[in-house]
Amino acid sequence: MAEKSIIVENLTYRYGSLMAVDHISFEVGAGEILGFLGPNGAGKTTTVKMLTGQLRPQEGHAILLGRDIVKETHAVRSQIGVCFEQTNLYEQMSALDNLLLFAELFGVKGCDGYALMKRVGLDGREKDKVSGYSRGMKQRLMVARSLVNTPEIVFMDEPTAGLDPVSSEAIGNIILEERDRGATVFLTTHDMWEADKLCHRVAFMDQGKIAALDTPHNLKQRYGKRSLVAEVAAGTGLEKREINMDTSGTARAVEELFEKEKVVTIHSEEATLEDIFIKVTGRRLTE
Amino acid sequence: MNPRVIKALLKKDFALFTSNRFYLLITVVGLVFYVGIYFVLPAQLDEKLSLAMYAPVMPPAFSQLTKHEGADVKFFSTEESLKQAVLDGDYQAAIALPPDIMDTWASGGKPEIIVYYASTAPPEVNAAIVALVKELSYAQTGQALNIETTEEILGPDMLGNQIALRDRMRPLLAIFILLVEIMALASLIAVEIEQGTARALLVTPLRISELFIAKGLLGVGLAFGQAVLFMALVGGFSHQPSIILVTLIIGSAMVVGIGFLLASLTRDVTAVTGWGMLILILLAVPGFGTVIPGLISDWARVIPSYYLTDTVSRVANYGAGWGDVGTNLAILTGITAVVIWAGMLTLRRRYQ
Repeated sequence: MAEKSIIVENLTYRYGSLMAVDHISFEVGAGEILGFLGPNGAGKTTTVKMLTGQLRPQEGHAILLGRDIVKETHAVRSQIGVCFEQTNLYEQMSALDNLLLFAELFGVKGCDGYALMKRVGLDGREKDKVSGYSRGMKQRLMVARSLVNTPEIVFMDEPTAGLDPVSSEAIGNIILEERDRGATVFLTTHDMWEADKLCHRVAFMDQGKIAALDTPHNLKQRYGKRSLVAEVAAGTGLEKREINMDTSGTARAVEELFEKEKVVTIHSEEATLEDIFIKVTGRRLTE
Repeated sequence: MNPRVIKALLKKDFALFTSNRFYLLITVVGLVFYVGIYFVLPAQLDEKLSLAMYAPVMPPAFSQLTKHEGADVKFFSTEESLKQAVLDGDYQAAIALPPDIMDTWASGGKPEIIVYYASTAPPEVNAAIVALVKELSYAQTGQALNIETTEEILGPDMLGNQIALRDRMRPLLAIFILLVEIMALASLIAVEIEQGTARALLVTPLRISELFIAKGLLGVGLAFGQAVLFMALVGGFSHQPSIILVTLIIGSAMVVGIGFLLASLTRDVTAVTGWGMLILILLAVPGFGTVIPGLISDWARVIPSYYLTDTVSRVANYGAGWGDVGTNLAILTGITAVVIWAGMLTLRRRYQ
C-alpha cells in the first residue's frame, strides 16, 4: 500500500453505557477507496464524526495526512471534504452560492463553481434555488460541495442512498475520478454492489468493531464459495444442479454433468459481499 | 479570526434573513408601524381643565376663572343644559352657581354650589374641582385660608414641559424593534441546526468563534440599524445622541445574547416563536413604565431590559447626561456580557 492517508489506532467512543465504536484500528492508503459497511447503529457515522473532528475520541487517536485530528483539527479540515447522508444545503440560496460560500470558508481563491456543477451534471441549473432541486440533484450538489477545496480525503456517507440509477452512477463515476486524481475516499454505504464495484478494500463494521477488512476479492476467497450452477432438463421442467468449484473433483463433476444430464444453462456464481457479511457477523446489512 | 470567513458568513446570513418573508415582513412592517404609531399619537399634552359652568350671577372671583390659562370654561344658559353636557360626556365636571349666591354671601350665609361629575370622572378630578370652588369662594368672601402652603417639586420640574404620550412611547417602541430581532436571530440559528447546515459548516476550517462573531454582527447590525433609523425618524436624538447610540448598541448586543440563549434552548422554529413571544412580552414590561409612570414598581429592575428603556427614556425625554445614566449603562453592560457568555456557552453545546 502507498503512503497512509488515514491511520486509526484504538479509536473508541461511548454514548453513555453504549459502546458505539470499540477500539478500532485500521489504515487507509493515499488514493485508496475504503468502503465502510455495516447495518444502522454499527458505529460507521460515529467513526466518520471522529475522523472529521466532529466528535472527540474518548480513547485512541486518528492521524489524517500526518496530523492528529484532535490536535490539529482545523489544519486537517482544510484538506478534507465531507458529503453527508442527509441533505444539508442552504435551500433558499442558489446552488452556485452554496458552492461559493463553502469555497470561501475553505479559503479557495477563484473557485470555478460552474465547472464543479458541470462535473456533477448540474450545469444550466447553477442559479436555481436548491429548494427546487430533486433529491438526486441535491445529493449531486452535496458531492460537488465536498469537492470545492480539492480535498485529499473525501468522506462520503451513503452518497447514493435512495437515488435513481442515473444519479447513483454519476456519483459512482465522481468517486472513481477522485481516486484517479489521487484522493483517498472513505465511503460509508449499505450498498454491497456499489462497494464491490468501487472500493479497493472494504471494512465490515458490526457492534462498534471491525469484523473484517480486506479487498472484496480476498474476502470472497476467504469466506465465499465459488460454484457452477446449471439448469438441466427434467421431464417437462428444469432442475438446478450446483458444483463446488473449490474442490479437486470439480472438472470430473462438470464432465459427468454433461455426460448424464441435458444441460440447458450453466454459469459460475460467487458469493456476494452481503453473503460474506452475513457469514462474518451473523447479521444482515439491512437489519 | 479570519475576516474573509466572517464576511462570507454574514453575506450568507443576510441572504437567508432577507429570503425569509416572515421576518422580512415583520421587520419592515414593524418599523413602519412603530413610526406610524408615533406620529399618530398627539404631539402635545392638553393641560387645560375643561369645565362647564352655569352662573346666572357671576361673582367677580369666579369670573377670574375664565381668564386662567389653565382652565377652559364653557358657560351654559340653563342648569339642565349643563347637566346634559356632562351626561353626554362633553365634560367630566360642571359647576352650577345658585341665583342668590351674592345675596347669601352678603347676609353671611353659605350658598349651595352644586358640582356635577360624570360617572367616568377619576377621583382626582372630583377633589380638584372641590378644592377649586373652595378657593374661589374664599377669594370672593375675602377670608383667607387659615393655612400656609409651601410647594416643593420632587424630580424634574415638568410644569409647562410635560411629555407628550408619543414621546413617552418612544423608548418602548424602540425597545420593541430591538426585541423582535431576538426571534429573527434565534430562528436563523435554529433553522441551521435543524436542517444540519451548521454541521456542514463545522467540518470546514471555520472556527466556532467565527460563527458566533458573524451571527453576533448580524444580530447587532439588524437590531441597532432599525432602532437607530426609528429614533432618527421620530426625533429621538435631540438630546445626547451619543448616549442614546451607546445604549442602543449595548441593547442590541444584549438582544444577540438572548437570541443565542433562545436558539440553544429550543428545538425548532415553532418553539423559537412560542418562547420568543413570552420573552418579548417580559422584556417589554419595563417599557410600559415609561409610558405610564408609576405603573411598574421596583421589581422591574430585575428585568434586564429595564436598564435599556430607563436609560433611553431618561436621556431622550428628561435630558439626562452621562453622569445620570452611568450606573444604568454599567449594569446594562454587565448583564449583556453575562447573557452573551451564557448564550455562547449553551449554543456551542447545541452546535456540537
